[in-house]
Amino acid sequence: MSSSLSALLSATFAEPGYEHLVELIHQRDAAARRRLEALDVELYDARGGLLATRAVDPRQEVLDLGALVAEVLPSGGRALVLFDARYDERVFPYRPHHYAYLHRPASGDPPLYYAVNATLGGVPDRIGAPRLNNFETYLFRARRFAERYSLLLGSVARFAEVEARVSCYYAATSTTATVTLGPKRHAEIELALEHAGEPLTRVEVKALFRLATYVVGRRASSGSLVLFDHLFTYFK
Amino acid sequence: MTRLLRRVARALLGVERPAVYYLPWLVRPGLECVLILSNLEARFKTGYNAGPFDIRVTQYDADGRLRAEHRTQLERSTDVVEMRLPSSETAWGFVTVDGERVRSDLYVTLSDGDAYAATHGRQEFVERYPIWSRAAMTVVGAPLAWVGRTVPAFVRHQYAYVGAESRSDLLLLNLSNVTNRVRVVRLAPARRASVLVRIPPMGSHLLDVSRLARPPARGTRVVPLRLEGNAWFNLYVVGAVRAAESAPLSLMHVK
Repeated sequence: MSSSLSALLSATFAEPGYEHLVELIHQRDAAARRRLEALDVELYDARGGLLATRAVDPRQEVLDLGALVAEVLPSGGRALVLFDARYDERVFPYRPHHYAYLHRPASGDPPLYYAVNATLGGVPDRIGAPRLNNFETYLFRARRFAERYSLLLGSVARFAEVEARVSCYYAATSTTATVTLGPKRHAEIELALEHAGEPLTRVEVKALFRLATYVVGRRASSGSLVLFDHLFTYFK
Repeated sequence: MTRLLRRVARALLGVERPAVYYLPWLVRPGLECVLILSNLEARFKTGYNAGPFDIRVTQYDADGRLRAEHRTQLERSTDVVEMRLPSSETAWGFVTVDGERVRSDLYVTLSDGDAYAATHGRQEFVERYPIWSRAAMTVVGAPLAWVGRTVPAFVRHQYAYVGAESRSDLLLLNLSNVTNRVRVVRLAPARRASVLVRIPPMGSHLLDVSRLARPPARGTRVVPLRLEGNAWFNLYVVGAVRAAESAPLSLMHVK
């Protein structure tokens, strides 16, 4: 493998019981030249323990993460999933995007299609990884639904602990909590739907470096995922 | 080289590319479509964060007709306005959002009343062709369409999913003022199949991907697609459940 290759570490979360198909490349051409050079997939539990690691054939276009998670987490739980990719930047001038299809069979809920977090590597000034702080925002609809919201936070660091400040904004008030994550640890932070009688309108996450960060919405009656989205980084 | 050729072709055709922020919309009975408008990105930008901010939302339907124009105002950069689009019928299209320095990620949400899914819009451009180049494209495009082809000026690749229970349809947006013939080619499995979709200027088309690949009895089939259009277009993925017409949907942007 050439040392001139570029690297991208992407991250998502996976739970058993879902069809979860991850596109390892997004772009494709007629000659199918657009492929990765190498890809390792690692799954970690909430405490940062390594559950499984797999070397994936880089010619593969879509990974059945649902099948892998069913094998690794047969009794439930959730995994932080890291995709450690090497690629040729002449083939992927920006980066090889990873998108994913997520659907819970028999739930009646529509499938979700989402962009997998790019946490390290790629084009630095677009991803924001080398800067000292990371600041992400997400807005919610103001009316109440039979849905609960949370943040999935995971640390891709190898050695350092990281503190994340999670601020929830309501009409005129706000709350802030600090979450500390060790290397490869993750947590689901439930967001209070109301505070002082006001509905949740916005959440912000601040951390010293980029985390794996998703906003999720779960149908209150079933816990099924109906929202799985990245936050927005305005300041890099 | 391709980029240079495109630039030359655009210059020869007299194409302009005004910047535009757009979001898809999709309504049907029982499905509520609400836009979330804000200018949060401006809140820490000194000199640009003092409101009010006027916002105009121009709504185009699938035929490219101007369906409605909505206006609202944000008093402060941290204000958030929800704009509900009427949903008495089944319809779709896209909106463009105009507002001074409003370029941040605005959201579109789809809700069945109990829960909602959301995605964001894109700051991009639309293509404006002068009348003579529109006429030229009509002359070239019509005979090609007769044999199921188009001028492949723009090409995208997208994976679609067809499952026993669910699928990912594609909402194709014609971001130009010419008729856009978009050819959607299934690259696998087995032999190629294709459909040619004619989208009016500023119009859109909701493509049911099960037209290109039959659903399997169990599980989900991945269907790699190649899309070719004679003018600028983009797409959103629409997550759909197979069981019921009234089932909720989700929307998602792609790069």
